[in-house]
Amino acid sequence: MTFSENIKMAFSSLFAHKLRSILTMLGIVIGVGAVIIVVAIGQGGEAALKSEIVGSGNAIEVFYSPSEEELRANPNILIQPAFTEDDIRILEQIPEVKTVVASSSSFSSVSYQGNKADSTLIGINQSYFDIYDMKIENGKKFSASDFISGNRVALISQSLKEELFENDSPIGKVVRIGTQPVEIIGVLEKPGGIFSLNTKDIYVPFNTWKMITGKDHITQITLQAVSQDVITTAGEKAAFQLNAFHNTEDSYQVLNSESLAEVIGQITRIMTLIIGSIAGVSLFVGGIGVMNIMLVSVTERTREIGIRMALGATRMQILTQFLIEATILTLIGGIIGIFFGWGVAAIVAAFAGWPSLISWQVVVIGVLFSTAIGITFGLLPANKASKLDPIESLRYE
Amino acid sequence: MISLEGITKSYEVGKEKIDVLKNIDLYVESGEFTAIMGPSGSGKSTLMNIIGCLDKPTKGRYFLDGVDVSEYKEVELARVRNTSIGFVFQQFHLLPRLTALKNVELPMIYKGIGKRERQERAEEALRKMGLEDRMDHLPNALSGGQKQRVAIARAIVNEPKLILADEPTGALDTKTSQSIMELFSRLNDEGTTIIVVTHEPEVAAFARRIIMLRDGEIVTGEQYSGGLG
Repeated sequence: MTFSENIKMAFSSLFAHKLRSILTMLGIVIGVGAVIIVVAIGQGGEAALKSEIVGSGNAIEVFYSPSEEELRANPNILIQPAFTEDDIRILEQIPEVKTVVASSSSFSSVSYQGNKADSTLIGINQSYFDIYDMKIENGKKFSASDFISGNRVALISQSLKEELFENDSPIGKVVRIGTQPVEIIGVLEKPGGIFSLNTKDIYVPFNTWKMITGKDHITQITLQAVSQDVITTAGEKAAFQLNAFHNTEDSYQVLNSESLAEVIGQITRIMTLIIGSIAGVSLFVGGIGVMNIMLVSVTERTREIGIRMALGATRMQILTQFLIEATILTLIGGIIGIFFGWGVAAIVAAFAGWPSLISWQVVVIGVLFSTAIGITFGLLPANKASKLDPIESLRYE
Repeated sequence: MISLEGITKSYEVGKEKIDVLKNIDLYVESGEFTAIMGPSGSGKSTLMNIIGCLDKPTKGRYFLDGVDVSEYKEVELARVRNTSIGFVFQQFHLLPRLTALKNVELPMIYKGIGKRERQERAEEALRKMGLEDRMDHLPNALSGGQKQRVAIARAIVNEPKLILADEPTGALDTKTSQSIMELFSRLNDEGTTIIVVTHEPEVAAFARRIIMLRDGEIVTGEQYSGGLG
């Protein structure tokens, strides 16, 4: 008896009980679909999260984390400014570093004609736009001369615009940061993706920030390496130079985009695994449904089994017949589940604004898994069928 | 062809041991037409099942074509049932979801015969039973006599040497029974050994030899004149 014969036979008996087969399959469809959805959303979310947090390529975060000793010697060290303009000059001299992106932030209240909002005032240098993907909704970006001469111009985020101007155009209006006037020249686009925070930000050129706040420190430095290949070297050199300049042991550290992405990837993978396991439970339940219906089927078809045995079917052939039937049931359910999961994940991804990721590995695993479920849960009913006594079975009404 | 030596079949019911067949010796020559008769409970079905390799004796030896099949394992018994024995049952035992043709193809599927040959042989067997215009009918669309003829076609399609019929006319009217028994006679004339279990004397009359069973023992093994025996 050939394999294709078995498959034909399985299809015809599944077809004979259409509603039952469909309902049984539904358990597997939902189970496989749920796993696919979780994995796809997990992977899509991971990709979106990485691109949002890390920004465009080859970025290296520089951060200052003083050692225990330094902390003990100077408890105020964390409040003190982390970087200075000298640090930027040092970092700019490293050949592997393409640009140094610096920004300083402080909290200020911004007011316009009696409207007042607490916001984050961020002073940025010209390279800031190279790394951070900031789009202007209307108005214009800072010009080179704005950066050099510290013109009193500012860009504001959507939420700050809504707070201060509601529906009016803010372009050309003068707001006050504390008591200092600045002119709004542009409004930033609302950031996409569900992980983005709608913060109330006001951006000014770094030199303007110094004038307004009277400070000259830098709170955040991000480097852009010349290429992906030298990202590690650039990071190491940057940390070494800063530690040498400040005469510190290991207080200046770097985190490049790859290792940051790795950390994020680990977190999302663990989350995907946890939620995926919960979804896997429904697949397990679906498998039990298959076993249940196959047991019913074996009982119903006792006489058929007896007839087949009398006509020369071996116990192995009977076992194979029922095993293939169960497997086809779960395999079809699994394939439908993959498409179902795919569809739902695509819809979720479209709404969340991140890439819909169904890797071929997920599809292969889905197919293999549903086959395995069929074999595992089909084994008991198939074994029961093959152990039937032909004489008793022929007499079964 | 068939040689039963001291066949005993016992069942244990609780602590009691019941002998359904007691030390049966039976020889059936190739080409014989034999009827096994007896009241219900006489053990004729059990004897039939043992001859048909559906059951194993508790004691004794069963030689089919000179081969001791009483020691055979499940797989080997399935092969014997598939190739050497054709079954015909009282309730026809056709698979309801398969057409007449597909029902007849079944034993050949288990024998591993290719699709084309299977179909040709099944059609030929059905034609022989006069069912050439009923091949694509489901069993439900067939009359009792037609069903039984499909079952006979299925029994002969693997060209077995032995056909076992268990009350083959039990569910049929007198006229149809007559025609079915005539079919068996024709198959017997072609050289197939036939054993029929029945309690109807009219059916047994077609056989050349009648074996009477009572309480698990053979009472008579009458040989009809003119038998091939």
